[in-house]
Amino acid sequence: MTTPRYADPESYILGITKDIWEDRGISLLETAYAPDIVMRNAGGMKIGNTSVIDDTLAKMAAFPDIEIFGEDVIWSGDAAGRYLSSHRTIITGTHTGHGVYGPPSGKRFTVRCIADCSVLDEVIDDEWLAYDTGAQARQLGHDPADFARARIIAEGGPDMASRPFTPDQDRPGPYLSRGNDNEWGARLADIVTRIMGKDVTVIRPEYDRAVRIEHAGGHGGWGTLQAEAIWMALRSSFPSAQFQIHHVIGRSDPHQPHRAAVRWSLDGKHDGFGRFGAPTGAPVHIMGFTHAEFGPWGLRREFTLFDEVAIWKQIHLHTGAF
Amino acid sequence: MTAYDRWKDFPDYIIGITREIWEDRGVETLNRYYAPDIPVRSPLGVSRGNQAVIAATMATLHEFPDREILTEDVIWSNDPTAGHLSSHRLYSMGTHTNAGQFGPATGRKWAVRVIADCAARGEEIYDEWLVRDYGGIVRQLGFEPVQYTRDLIAAEGGPDAAKRPFTPEADIDGGYHGGGNANEWGARYAADLTRLMEADFNHVLTSYDRAVVGQYPGAYQAVGRQQVADFWLALRSSFPSASFTIHHQIGMDGGMMSPRAAIRWSLDGTHDGWGAFGRPTGARVHVMGMAHAEYGPWGLRRETALYDEIAIWKQILLHTGDL
Repeated sequence: MTTPRYADPESYILGITKDIWEDRGISLLETAYAPDIVMRNAGGMKIGNTSVIDDTLAKMAAFPDIEIFGEDVIWSGDAAGRYLSSHRTIITGTHTGHGVYGPPSGKRFTVRCIADCSVLDEVIDDEWLAYDTGAQARQLGHDPADFARARIIAEGGPDMASRPFTPDQDRPGPYLSRGNDNEWGARLADIVTRIMGKDVTVIRPEYDRAVRIEHAGGHGGWGTLQAEAIWMALRSSFPSAQFQIHHVIGRSDPHQPHRAAVRWSLDGKHDGFGRFGAPTGAPVHIMGFTHAEFGPWGLRREFTLFDEVAIWKQIHLHTGAF
Repeated sequence: MTAYDRWKDFPDYIIGITREIWEDRGVETLNRYYAPDIPVRSPLGVSRGNQAVIAATMATLHEFPDREILTEDVIWSNDPTAGHLSSHRLYSMGTHTNAGQFGPATGRKWAVRVIADCAARGEEIYDEWLVRDYGGIVRQLGFEPVQYTRDLIAAEGGPDAAKRPFTPEADIDGGYHGGGNANEWGARYAADLTRLMEADFNHVLTSYDRAVVGQYPGAYQAVGRQQVADFWLALRSSFPSASFTIHHQIGMDGGMMSPRAAIRWSLDGTHDGWGAFGRPTGARVHVMGMAHAEYGPWGLRRETALYDEIAIWKQILLHTGDL
């Protein structure tokens, strides 16, 4: 092992993100990412750091002024020095280059992303992440459902189009832990599990009345009523899907509110009305990430991400309507 | 203290009475929760006494019957001699359902931030300073702030009769003379704002988190240091020679929250520069400002800074006569 460059997981994650993205150290990915890394992007799995490097370069070409602000790093580690960092970022840039969003539009976008990265000896060797592709599509002038259709056609039609992440494509990586046993992680996992178990009544006693909620698609809201509505619109699209919690972190750090990071999934059929329109029966897998801050009056800030375009893509590939 | 027979602690009292008055329609409780001669200073002027507050509360509830007030934070101090002061940050929202001060009902929804500094003794509020994001409401109801301000002056009877925005000369002593507390986070935020107002905007690059999110007048959200620095620069640049004063400063740490601070400040001087308020006019302007900040491990990470754009435009338009 080489001498560590960073003092702690937070500085490593924030530092490497800035090095790669803003200081243009794309080639750093050759050493910062393991050669055979399994990157489970909700929009499509990538294997190996070469495909990550090419993807990064393509994003920078489309948005040359891209900036990635690290809002929070919620992490858990083991005795052997391996840790998982759940990194919430705000990504912003101007569409001045060609890319998957089409020819340069001059439009700006600002969206969130959550990336769960496993790190050992300052090398990222396992990853799960979701970009808010729905919000990005909207801000660049596309309807997310139409954008998913356009991607299928651009990628060569339904037989050729790249598949969003589903568990059958998964490959085991080196990270096996399910997080830590801090009470705030357990509390958030319980809240999300109860909501997804359709026990929406959990929100009023557990959330601060003035909760700020930021969900995928740039959907945001204030107060428990909006929190209820936004979660119900998601669950209602996939009422029979199976909900699972995959990873749970809680932290109580000095000079910070208690925080938690949960990675979850919904797996099943698009068999209900909700934020994805009329039910289509499409098989859908949703990789979901929820971060929360707890305050004296309950859950005070909640950030939930999933890849809306990846969901539309699964729906369109099933219906053939594109 | 009788207040605490009913309330768990000081923030619980502030949050509780706000809900009781506004959302549970207990307007008459203002007869005892507000002192009979309380001065309420807002950037648009000073009102005196709880009966004026009751009348204004009813008018607002009539115009926006579904008004909700969510408490984002209560940052408070309790000086042994000066007493309790609560700096209460609210997220206030409603639907323009009936005719009122904003004209015939538009059916539009609005949501803005408000900061209210209230001095309390027992269960009674006796002194108050309040800044709402009036420009945010005006925009969300479909008006343009400068034209809205012209119409407001006309509705108040023209430039001679129109109510004057708040200036220090018009102030009334309500009895609270505290300066807040000596907590380090209040001192740090006071130093941060002072450096920005000394035109040291580079300070944002070292003292603010790279991922800072700022909430500013006009319901404008800034993301990142550049946008935050630009916000403060646009304000200072409109009033480059004005004097900046910190009137009240609170810092807090703990209680399941980030270290945080509340500052009440003003800029007082002349509209003699280009910036957020357009062409310099030489108008005498007093900017009543309130700001809250949360600090994280990488610097100032969330900021809410409010002033009242309409009150500033009113001072400018009354000076220029561009009505």
